[in-house]
Amino acid sequence: MKSFRANSFKRAATALVLAALGGGLFAASADETFNEQVLPLLKKQCFECHSHAGKIKGGLALDSRSGWQQGGDHGTALVPGKPEESLLIKAISYTDNDLQMPPKKQLSVAEVAILEQWITQGAHDPRESEVAQAKKKGVNIEEALKHWAFQPMNAKTGSLPRLLSSGLASNQEADRYTLLRRASLDLTGLPPTREDIDSFVSDKSSDAFAHVVDRLLGSHAFGERWARFWLDLVGYADQVGTANNVAAPQAWRYRDYVVRAFNVDKPFDQFIHEQVAGDLMQSGDVVQRQDQIIATGFLLLGNINIVEVDKAKLRVDMVDQQIEKVGKAFLGMTLNCVRCHDHKFDPISLQDYYGLAGIFMSTESVYHTGRGVWSAPTFAELPATPAEQARLQEARHEHEETVAALRAKASESKQSLGALDARIAAAKGKADKEVSLKVKNENLKELVDLMRQKSERLQHVRSLDDRLAHLDYIQPGTSIACATHDRAKPADTQITIRGNAHALGSTVPRGFVKAAFSGSAPAIPANQSGRAQLADWLTSSNNKLTSRVTVNRLWQKLFGQGIVPSVDYFGLRGEKPRNPELLDALATRFVQIGWSQKKLIREIMLSPAYRQSSSAPTNPSLTAQYRSRLDAEAIRDSVLAISGSLLPASGGPALALEFPENVSGLDPKSVNPVAFSVTKFRPEQANVRTLYLPIIRSSLQKGPGEILDIFDFAQPAQLQGQRFITTVPPQALYLMNGPLAKNEGGRLGDQLWKAPAKDDEARLAELYLRVLNRPITTDETAEALAFLATFDTPIPASDEVPQRKHLAWALLCQALFTSNEFLFRL
Amino acid sequence: MSTEPPLFTRRHALRTAANGFGMAGLAHLLAGQAQAGVVFPNHAPKAKRVIYLFMSGGPSHVDLFDHKPRLMQDQGKPLPFEKPKLERTKTGNLLPSPWTFARHGQSGMEISELMPHLATCADDLCLMRSMVADNINHNGACLQMNTGEQAFSRPSLGSWLQYGLGSENHDLPGFVVISPAQPAQGAPLWSSSFLPATYQGTLVSDLKRPIANLGNERYKPARQRTELDLLHQLNQQHAATRAHDSSLEARIQSFELAFRMQMQAPEAFDVDSESEATKKLYGLDDPVTETFARQCLMARRLSERGVRTVQVYHTATSKRSSCQLWDQHGNLKTELPNNCAAIDKPVAALIKDLKSRGLLEDTLIVWGGEFGRTPTAEGNNGREHHPFGFSMWMAGGGVKGGLTYGATDEFGWHSTENRVHVHDLHATILHLMGIDHTKLTYRYSGRDYRLTDVSGEVVKALIA
Repeated sequence: MKSFRANSFKRAATALVLAALGGGLFAASADETFNEQVLPLLKKQCFECHSHAGKIKGGLALDSRSGWQQGGDHGTALVPGKPEESLLIKAISYTDNDLQMPPKKQLSVAEVAILEQWITQGAHDPRESEVAQAKKKGVNIEEALKHWAFQPMNAKTGSLPRLLSSGLASNQEADRYTLLRRASLDLTGLPPTREDIDSFVSDKSSDAFAHVVDRLLGSHAFGERWARFWLDLVGYADQVGTANNVAAPQAWRYRDYVVRAFNVDKPFDQFIHEQVAGDLMQSGDVVQRQDQIIATGFLLLGNINIVEVDKAKLRVDMVDQQIEKVGKAFLGMTLNCVRCHDHKFDPISLQDYYGLAGIFMSTESVYHTGRGVWSAPTFAELPATPAEQARLQEARHEHEETVAALRAKASESKQSLGALDARIAAAKGKADKEVSLKVKNENLKELVDLMRQKSERLQHVRSLDDRLAHLDYIQPGTSIACATHDRAKPADTQITIRGNAHALGSTVPRGFVKAAFSGSAPAIPANQSGRAQLADWLTSSNNKLTSRVTVNRLWQKLFGQGIVPSVDYFGLRGEKPRNPELLDALATRFVQIGWSQKKLIREIMLSPAYRQSSSAPTNPSLTAQYRSRLDAEAIRDSVLAISGSLLPASGGPALALEFPENVSGLDPKSVNPVAFSVTKFRPEQANVRTLYLPIIRSSLQKGPGEILDIFDFAQPAQLQGQRFITTVPPQALYLMNGPLAKNEGGRLGDQLWKAPAKDDEARLAELYLRVLNRPITTDETAEALAFLATFDTPIPASDEVPQRKHLAWALLCQALFTSNEFLFRL
Repeated sequence: MSTEPPLFTRRHALRTAANGFGMAGLAHLLAGQAQAGVVFPNHAPKAKRVIYLFMSGGPSHVDLFDHKPRLMQDQGKPLPFEKPKLERTKTGNLLPSPWTFARHGQSGMEISELMPHLATCADDLCLMRSMVADNINHNGACLQMNTGEQAFSRPSLGSWLQYGLGSENHDLPGFVVISPAQPAQGAPLWSSSFLPATYQGTLVSDLKRPIANLGNERYKPARQRTELDLLHQLNQQHAATRAHDSSLEARIQSFELAFRMQMQAPEAFDVDSESEATKKLYGLDDPVTETFARQCLMARRLSERGVRTVQVYHTATSKRSSCQLWDQHGNLKTELPNNCAAIDKPVAALIKDLKSRGLLEDTLIVWGGEFGRTPTAEGNNGREHHPFGFSMWMAGGGVKGGLTYGATDEFGWHSTENRVHVHDLHATILHLMGIDHTKLTYRYSGRDYRLTDVSGEVVKALIA
């Protein structure tokens, strides 16, 4: 019975059994004890999983003395003389839910006592012979280190321009219409406008395409497009965790920071440094300092279980997520497996993992809010520029006025309630009087009327109070951001056995992933967390992964496919680079040009490799251009841009918490945090870029964001460098019947058929130019005219001409919005 | 359904042509992400489909399925042993069940008086009274029950089944979740996580308008047909100028399928077209049972049409809707009977209805919440969360009817006999569906993941 597992009982029982065993155990020689008591027990209960004849689970073998001396993945199995420090005893006494051995059936009290006694007496083990060491399961580190990704950068690659033209460009250059559309979609997620097309097609200069690329790289839309790719790797959402819809009201600051970083072409090494350790950097410039603080949101914005009661578990889970994120986003490595055991395939050990864990355990990331069991990610106040301070003053002033007016109204209402009470009392007195039936009825009626007035008034007062509570919640204040800071006492951390926060193993000095680095890693001073050194380590020229992983991601965005197709995983079980020389040439060049993404993108895009026409995706070299379906954001944003509905937006809060209907749980006594909903959208949100819509983790995306989940949005609980591209009927249903293509098709159609002094041919030409960004062909004109003609016959008969015109053009536009040519980047 | 993986092969093209909501599973076999050479089912399945009735909030085992006379004997006394470290709030002394239990059916299964209809199905139930889970909060526990993992994002049971087995009906989603209100944290519970998005559950929350974008009120079907014909023409011309490309082809097909689907899917969800007798059997005529009756009946109709997994969340009664209906921290004596009244008749009807249609034998019904509730009192009329020992049951689909398996200690606290951990339950469900849980894997970031993580054992004793 589990209750018997309680420790106190256990010890008493052990004592009893030992007493019962009498002097036998003590009298016997140590050899005899081992051979007669201990070894048979180990054989019977442990060898199945912990011997060379069986398996060597957890890296632990008990079939030789050296086996337990060396220990398993979690360190030495037992400490002679100290049963209380011995993992083996912990495991067999079932005191820990995550370390219970043997897993199927607990040892008897007597059996536990035998092993406990053996260890207490010094764990005498007379076995001299080494068991023939079968190859230990797991990674052969030496072999694994030969893996391509752990080799230093190839210093002898051909020049990048040569590599980008020879061999890679097997097709001829794409026509200008296709090329312009491709470049626009790739860099901004938006199609070219008519003017863009006209100017490129008529530009006869040799650097016409360079002009296009420069214009696109310089546009604000570039950052809006590329920021989203990065957010996919961060697990970004406007919600903290998934429980109870808790808003991460400041998450948008991180999103906008990423947009800014891409737009100003922040050197990528600096971008990394700010996200990992921005709080530890310094700047005299207020705006730059804000960005440094906001950037650390990278480490916090993810799927954390903030309602976890077990705060020790919450902390190690959070650290695990941070390690996973750093590992995946920058190193292309899966480090989180190593929380429980040495990596099964990659040369990454528990030492590496817990070295990083020490860094993040020395960093404040979550705190207990004091509302029930809830925690929240840590935050920091942002310094303000004088202009921002002035704006805040103004906003506060305005807010105070609104609140004061409302308060006055509320207190007035409350007072009038008092007056009403007096009238009700009087009316009650009157109603109680013995008078004629008619008078009595009138008196009663008066009372009922007053009571009704009171209930209305009460309701009014309550609604005023609700509004005041909501106003209090959204009052303007000093800007804050989700941000980390170092703990007061940074320290190395202990291994958590099988990831269990309460089963602690040996302490591991803070450090980094050894396989990823050549030379000696930066030293971490005892009084620092080590995040600054981690950033240095990540961006050092001795790091073999960061620059390769980054240029590979970039390549994938421009060619649909990474040079290493498994963009988030460069380990032994990942895919090999299709063109290792090109990968290293890009990585080397990237560092050479100061980690500038824009410069590298430009060089790639001007190459024949990028400019060639696309093939069906069967080219095994996988470095050619190929077609791929647009992602959800590009589809929605393009449709809105073409119909003229797209609004420019420059970021800010996505959750419309200023609407009381989007906020609940304001009662300060509640044990649950304030919750948001996305019931009501700001009117303009229907027409802003998809990037700026609220991202929720606990449900599908709502309202105008509905399209995201239908078209393979990266789930915000995941970190994902490349999205799936599926083809499923709900996508077709959405385009056929959903609001986007229908409404915008109608809008575009109306613009076209209502345009004066044009014939239908001209209208069709414009339609094709706007939607497909190319001239219409003669055949297509004929077909479209035939389609329009079918509307000459009304269905139903009552349809009037304008309705039919509207419908004909709306459906034509919608058909184009749903066509493959529109949905694919070619 | 198709995914466009890095490498395209002729076989892949063939598969993408069989485009459907569900289609065959393991689309990624060809992309090398599943364990090579394994085809599911990998042994003869006992069940072909699952209906999982999820009682969100944590139903009280000691008041429903795990009769503990000792609680009455020792009522008001403290639990006579140390409680586990993992505790949300301190609970008080032992609280006996306010309800009586009786033995039912030939098996003599003990069921509380709160489930009179279900009790008539006792001999079909395979009751597990020794369930164990690891998390004490709704979020972590719901996640574990659905995905095997408490904290991080992983594919759900339904997604794994869909990935392994695919769907039998190409005009309907293969994994449907019916929940009028959002349970716990919502979407992560039926997420496909790192599996392709195709495998995620399709949520039906509006029972009247089950699938989004299915209808088009603005245009007449004839007009839409004309539009689709034009679209077809556009796409054909576009494809004609290029070498064969399965991704273009698949998308062309998907519009045709969608058009067919909008004709056929409404029928599948049309609960109102059932006979009066059936509606009455489920309790569609009574406001108390109406909502859950509608959910169960919808589940039956979908299962019947080949939907692989239907998950039915109990999140609304006639009185209230909540993400945690079964979370009786207080008001045990009024709310638990309310919940039972809302589901008892529909659930029993589902079992009987499937049986009379000959579908019960290969339809697996699973009933349970994310954990049970403490045998000790929270306040004077409530119970706390309790993952250490609780009850769930299965029926049909190759399980032993009338079996009471496992036990908790005499207070209903710890699972002590034949413990069934969530991983074991998952392993067993997959086994019944013809899948070896250790073989259904997906390689993500270099690691082969599976529903049961690194544990789970098939509970053979439950299998008929």
